[in-house]
Amino acid sequence: MEFYLSVMTFTLISVIAVTGVYVLTGLTGMFSLGQAAFMAIGAYISGVLVVKVGLPFALAAIIAIALSVLVGYIVGLPTVRLRRDYISLVTLGFGEAITALLNQMQSITGGALGFSGIPQKTTFTLAVASAAVCIALVAYFKASKYGRQCIAAKSDELAAKAMGIDVARIKMIAFLFSVAVTAYAGVLYAFYTTYVDPGIFGWKKSAEWVIMVFFGGVNSLTGSIIGTAILTALPEMLRFAAEYRTVFYSILVLLIINFKPAGLFGEYELSLKSLGIGREKKNAA
Amino acid sequence: MLLEVQNISKSFGGVKAIQDFSLTADKGDIVGIIGPNGAGKTTTFNVISGVYRADQGKVFLDGKDITNMEQHQITREGISRTFQNIRLFKGLNVMENVMCAFDPRANYSIFDGLLPTPRRFAEEKRGRKICEHNLEVVGLKKYANEKPESLPYGLQRRLEIARALTCQPKVLLLDEPAAGLNPTEVKELTELISRLCSELGFAVLLIEHRLELVMGISHKIYVLNFGKTIAVGTPDEVRSNPEVIEAYLGEEDAEC
Amino acid sequence: MSLQIIINGLALGSVYAIIATGFSLIFNILKFSNFSHGALMTLSAFIGYFFAVTVNSSLLLVVAISMLAGGLVSCLGELVAFRKITLSNTSPIYFFVSSITLGTLYEGIVTIWVGPNFYNYPRFFETTVVKLGSIVISKSDLIMFVSSCAALALLMLFIQKTKFGRALRSVSFDRETAGLMGIDVIRIIQLAFFLSGALAGLAGVFLGINYTLYPQLGNLVVKGFIASVIGGLGSVFGAVAGALLLGLTETLLINFAGSGYAPVFSFLIMLVFLLIRPQGIAGSNVQEKA
Repeated sequence: MEFYLSVMTFTLISVIAVTGVYVLTGLTGMFSLGQAAFMAIGAYISGVLVVKVGLPFALAAIIAIALSVLVGYIVGLPTVRLRRDYISLVTLGFGEAITALLNQMQSITGGALGFSGIPQKTTFTLAVASAAVCIALVAYFKASKYGRQCIAAKSDELAAKAMGIDVARIKMIAFLFSVAVTAYAGVLYAFYTTYVDPGIFGWKKSAEWVIMVFFGGVNSLTGSIIGTAILTALPEMLRFAAEYRTVFYSILVLLIINFKPAGLFGEYELSLKSLGIGREKKNAA
Repeated sequence: MLLEVQNISKSFGGVKAIQDFSLTADKGDIVGIIGPNGAGKTTTFNVISGVYRADQGKVFLDGKDITNMEQHQITREGISRTFQNIRLFKGLNVMENVMCAFDPRANYSIFDGLLPTPRRFAEEKRGRKICEHNLEVVGLKKYANEKPESLPYGLQRRLEIARALTCQPKVLLLDEPAAGLNPTEVKELTELISRLCSELGFAVLLIEHRLELVMGISHKIYVLNFGKTIAVGTPDEVRSNPEVIEAYLGEEDAEC
Repeated sequence: MSLQIIINGLALGSVYAIIATGFSLIFNILKFSNFSHGALMTLSAFIGYFFAVTVNSSLLLVVAISMLAGGLVSCLGELVAFRKITLSNTSPIYFFVSSITLGTLYEGIVTIWVGPNFYNYPRFFETTVVKLGSIVISKSDLIMFVSSCAALALLMLFIQKTKFGRALRSVSFDRETAGLMGIDVIRIIQLAFFLSGALAGLAGVFLGINYTLYPQLGNLVVKGFIASVIGGLGSVFGAVAGALLLGLTETLLINFAGSGYAPVFSFLIMLVFLLIRPQGIAGSNVQEKA
């Protein structure tokens, strides 16, 4: 039971991180290979604030998220205007830079040996509640003017601008939202595992999240969530050795890309309407 | 004068796309821009709407210099457009496509964007009303929940118009709105454009190859060839201008 | 001593150049960033390594085997991960996802095969250094630099002077028209992948010699990407220039600040370049038409 609870908690944390990536990549079409770095920033700042400065968990979490968003703003400023390929390369470089910094700042972060001694504050309940809230926030975002403008910018940037949409601004908003959510996932992660090290937050992790979004269906929030759940929980449940897990996972994704590129769920979005509940409302698909 | 384009020039590398182009349009005017392919017509639209920055020259809207403004700012000032190759937003349905043009004006913040607040619902409702009205104007109200890709070509063009209308333009740029339409559809489009123009009082700039539309509806026509303006005048004047006939209308009967 | 640093920088830069060029080839022909390039590098380097260890052979043979392995695996990868996307109407975005997944697959295979250990290439040379006046150049650096230059020169010749090279360039420029002109587009794409893979193999061997061989070696490909960005995505010449510049600057900065901060410097250099000259040293800014 303990094991399953643990798998589910990790899955929930992944789901939270991926909803952030969904906003950035699924809605707005930006590929970041550095989002995991924001998870690291959230994890380390909150961890350090509680362990070394003695702040209460909630306050540390809020400060960590706020600082992550600040860093995100600085990185985003030159980056969000760039072409798609450049965004992934710049965020990649950024992620590597953060990992290097975390490794170097040994006195604060413990360097490559990692940072331990973080009290365990993330309960299963907290994880579930957090995931529910994040999913709700993203769903509302998607159905709002923000979501629409993001999708428009992703679909056709030129036409979006022609309709009066400030594309640079909407991309920044999406980016910062994504950063905030990912940083929070980092906080939950650190306070669950009680230990973090720079190695787990590399570009591979960021890439994994992008893959999960595509696996589930890049245009579908539901798909991204369920896809993440499958790709996180399944290998754990099957108790593969770590290396076989990656191979299994890659093959699964390559199969989807070859045979159902729109992802497991395509454009399908779970909503009250699709469940047949409630009166006929016009809602965003 | 609502729109004043003064001596615009734009080159790409060595190619002079348009040279020394000027145009004026007042409220309620329908101004046609015609010319052979490659004459630079779409380039004029691109410069006016801010896709390209002019190398030389200026554009004034209602007396304001909009020449160097960002594209989306120009739209908010009051210029909206449709595209030669239909550019509808995939991933959004018909209604949402039109809502995108309302969204920059929607009066709620990120806080309301993330949560189900009354202000958000009120604004969304207000927007939907406006968009529904515009869809009805072009006759697409019943397609509101469809995907734009599933609409026939003619209706997609109308959707672009509904979307452009939602920008609340002072000047509407229509880039070949009749391309791919059959004669009946062209007639309907002609009626739609003149009705909109007289009811809503904006100016329309119209790039068209379908001469029955352009000649029938324009108050004034500019003729371009190889980036240069070779004639300006009423449809009758242009029709009988020998240079125009030679360059564009060809040897065949110029009666449209 | 600064000449020493320059030489080291150039040697390092030349290997980055090989990485960046292999990367550029794919970018030119299919218009996406092939994130599996690094892992392919590692995989082919390992194949070469095991060949070197079992069959006591010279450096030349090991390099040849690695390049061949790299080329073949690359073609196989193209078939498995990219063919469907190239042929069908799916959005080019999927190349990105596919390439990352492919890279993860390569790395997973290597990890299963060799475990997490570090491996060292056998000593290929008797003396390890060459002296030019007061400057000491390691033999491996020298060979790296010379072979990189040779490989790049051969590639340039191939692209500019042969009919295959011409076909490559035309497919890169306009795939549809090239096909209509009778070029077997898929064959040419495979050729590009083969060349890219061969270059990956070459880079892998040299990086393995320089840094020791381990499954995550592919992460160094990040440098190649950064070089490509600085040089201008889409320009092979730019990629080379960017790589040399990166190699030089990095070596210089490492000398002053220690290697731990290298990724930070690379990132900042890249950011500065993108702010000042987004199209890179040799790339071009394509403006979208309405």
